[in-house]
Amino acid sequence: MTPLPDHLLESVAASAVAEGLADALYTSVATPIGPLLLVQGSRGIVRIGFDADAADAHLAAVAAHLGPRLVASRRQLAGAGERLVAYLEGDVPEIDLPFDLSLAGTGFRREALEALARTTARGETVTYSELAARAGRPRAARAAGTACAINPVPLVVPCHRVVPSSGGVGNYGGGAERKLRLLELEGALKPSRPTTR
Amino acid sequence: MPSVPPHIVPPTAVAQGVLPPFWSLVDAHGDELLAHARRVAGPEHAEDVVQEALLRALRAYPRLRHADHLRAWLYRVTTNAAIDDLCRRRREEPAADPPAATEDPHEIDGFEDLIAALPDGTRAVLRLRFVDDLEYGDIAARLSCSEAAARQRVSTAVRTLRERLAA
Repeated sequence: MTPLPDHLLESVAASAVAEGLADALYTSVATPIGPLLLVQGSRGIVRIGFDADAADAHLAAVAAHLGPRLVASRRQLAGAGERLVAYLEGDVPEIDLPFDLSLAGTGFRREALEALARTTARGETVTYSELAARAGRPRAARAAGTACAINPVPLVVPCHRVVPSSGGVGNYGGGAERKLRLLELEGALKPSRPTTR
Repeated sequence: MPSVPPHIVPPTAVAQGVLPPFWSLVDAHGDELLAHARRVAGPEHAEDVVQEALLRALRAYPRLRHADHLRAWLYRVTTNAAIDDLCRRRREEPAADPPAATEDPHEIDGFEDLIAALPDGTRAVLRLRFVDDLEYGDIAARLSCSEAAARQRVSTAVRTLRERLAA
């Protein structure tokens, strides 16, 4: 991390936002499921990352899509960060933040993620083939799985609600353990292992 | 599907995907830029100078055509911000500083005017570093001295400039 004082950096960030100079803002948010990288462009949340080690790669991808003027600021993203935490602590039912699927590319993957955000509610799970059907291509279960795997904004677009028809919770970018925990939080699954891990 | 908004179209095609995220430069070089601003503008003004320099750099960043020498570019932007800060303070504070009022502060026009009163050797060193934008190795070659000596001479020259401007 930079040793520049926080107040200086936040002051630069505030001026950058006021002048419209930032292509995207980002920060790390401490949450009950671990630190999350939160990146917000002018149209909404554009990236949420679970893996702190991959932050540089996430930010480079955002820069390639939205422009290179990325600015870190905890203060400018305080509202979005608090909303994420409130959701993960069970204080609010949905995250309800605007999002931008620029990093999901175009075509069916993006359509599947849009359908997922539009049609699934808290407490619900859908199978990959059901998601494919909701996106208009019932036979594209595999492509729906790929869409979830490349979802740039997990949690906000709730790919944790998509499970295999064969049972179990299936894969998750943040790890199966987190997926299980999110589904339990939303009441889609009964807490299976209250204390042991 | 919404059309692509204009703000995500990079100003130059070359810049897209080539320039690193701006804040990675702040993370990597912020501390040395602050140290540089302290040397040029003085410790009490260094943070303001760095803040101004980072905003100037952010404004110009998407127009850069390549990602070479970004650190040297940030140093140059910071030096310019520091010099502008010194000039602005000289203009604003003549009454508080009677000796400086003997010369017309409005005559200060850029780097050459700023260094005009300095000894020849000092001016030459400052030009090599901040006008020609040479690295210390190249300055050492021009001055036929070691790199460490070149750093020392630049550092002394900057201190002399700052002391003259503050006098």
